[in-house]
Amino acid sequence: MTETLSHNKETYQNTSQPAVRVRGLSRRFGNNPPVLHGLDLTIAPGEFVALLGHSGSGKSTLLRTLAGLDPVTEGEVSTPDEISVVFQESRLLPWKTVWENVALAQQSATRAQATRLLDEVGLAHRQDAWPLTLSGGEAQRAALARALIREPAFLMLDEPFAALDALTRLRMQALVATLWQRHHSAVLLVTHDVDEALTLADRAIVLDKGRIRLDMPIPLERPRRHADPVFERLRTQLLEELGVHT
Amino acid sequence: MSGASFHNAPPLLPRDKASLAAPPAHPRHQKTGTRGPIHRIRWSVLPALGRYASPVILVLLWQAACSTGLISTRLFASPLQILATGWGLAQDGTLQANLGVSLLRAASGLALALATGISLALIAALSRIGENVIDAPIQILRTLPVLALAPLFILWFGIGELPKVLLVALGATFPVYLNLHKGIRAIDPKLLEMAHTIGLSRWQRIRNVILPGALPDLLVGTRLAVSIAWLMLVVAEQINASSGIGHMMMDAQDFLRTDIIFVGLAIYGLLGLISDQGVRILERRALVWRQPSAQGRGQNHD
Ligand SMILES: Nc1ncnc2c1ncn2[C@@H]1O[C@H](COP(=O)(O)OP(=O)(O)O)[C@@H](O)[C@H]1O
Ligand SMILES: [Mg+2]
Repeated sequence: MTETLSHNKETYQNTSQPAVRVRGLSRRFGNNPPVLHGLDLTIAPGEFVALLGHSGSGKSTLLRTLAGLDPVTEGEVSTPDEISVVFQESRLLPWKTVWENVALAQQSATRAQATRLLDEVGLAHRQDAWPLTLSGGEAQRAALARALIREPAFLMLDEPFAALDALTRLRMQALVATLWQRHHSAVLLVTHDVDEALTLADRAIVLDKGRIRLDMPIPLERPRRHADPVFERLRTQLLEELGVHT
Repeated sequence: MSGASFHNAPPLLPRDKASLAAPPAHPRHQKTGTRGPIHRIRWSVLPALGRYASPVILVLLWQAACSTGLISTRLFASPLQILATGWGLAQDGTLQANLGVSLLRAASGLALALATGISLALIAALSRIGENVIDAPIQILRTLPVLALAPLFILWFGIGELPKVLLVALGATFPVYLNLHKGIRAIDPKLLEMAHTIGLSRWQRIRNVILPGALPDLLVGTRLAVSIAWLMLVVAEQINASSGIGHMMMDAQDFLRTDIIFVGLAIYGLLGLISDQGVRILERRALVWRQPSAQGRGQNHD
């Protein structure tokens, strides 16, 4: 494991400054065992990282720390200034229309900019709607548009599609792939879905008891085919690391 | 929006409700937003008559009892007499003058209550110190019957406009404060967290998240405040005043003019009704976002 880590460190140190750098990050709540335990992580600019792990393994805690929502009590964290987060719930303000929600995320945003981003996520036709009238998938599209109007160098997604039905989820994955290629931000995607991770990410990380158990590059061309034997092999490996035996 | 008012009109009418609940039966009216309501009004006329029949009959009986001498008109003015007196008072301007004074007192008191209640609630709900300094005393004070302060207020502030306006303001401040405070406390912390991640400043958070999120509760508080304001005004004007509807009624008492007293009662009743409707309309306007059906077709699926 340490080998993989140092390998990554070298690669990105040589090419450019990392977008995200975490060193020895620990976090505990009360007297419980630490949720994050001396964690090291580097994400390169424009790199897409998927973060997997059992429920309670500390994924959200890591993401919240990176987003500045939780304090750094032990260790070091450095992130770009421009960051955005999308959560499992859209967290749109119900009293603002869809485009107002999007525009609110960027101080100087105009309506035209908000409309352009809503167009990118395929929601321009609903820009005047109230959020309570949106379907789950539409709400998450709006949340994505709101995240992207900030032109983030680092985008965090915490199980953004977990509450969506399977078909909508596939569409949203395709959308995220497109958006990522257009916006070039570094992405950290928390997911439970091994296929989602393998479809989208450059690297998959498995978190276990506050430590990184696996840090695995995904050397596959895009768009990715589930039938690809390498895809199959990586999937088996990921599932095994997660304790699911196929 | 246009259709919404019918949901809140004293609904009664089982038949009208059925037509609202099952619109697909009239696809023609569904398409054009303007035709639906007209259609509904026509349906609601008959049942509405039924609803108002009982009060009308009571008034007729009252008039009959007075005309036949069954009730002494010295103690109980007849409806016709009340109407005539009201008309007379309006003709010579007495009514308008007193009404104007009362309205001004109520409006100033309410405005003061809103300003105070909103400021205090914001401070108390948004800072730990504010909570300790403001909330505890208010929670204790609110158990006092505010009307019992009337004599003190007259001692302190004399007999001018000030004690009356302050009494109205004091009574109306509590519901504004309590409801807004509760509303702010109940705002989804996830939305506040989101506001933080998109970099909103404290003031922007208050303006875009906290105030609109607590607006439904603020409006509930305002409606209560309006009804309390009238109550306080009635008492304030009857204890010590030289003008206003309450004063007009106390004057009438000295001359055994029950007809004028009834005119005053009717005016108070109308004022209460109109102001309550006003806040309701405001509520419906301000909270459109809570009625998904008001904005198109409800839940969409992608
Ligand atoms: N604010 C908190 N207070 C106490 N415990 C917490 C808090 N937040 C998270 N935890 C604990 O930290 C652990 C990891 O939580 P989390 O990061 O949400 O896991 P994941 O997102 O991987 O499911 C869990 O055991 C959870 O109970
Ligand atoms: Mg989580």
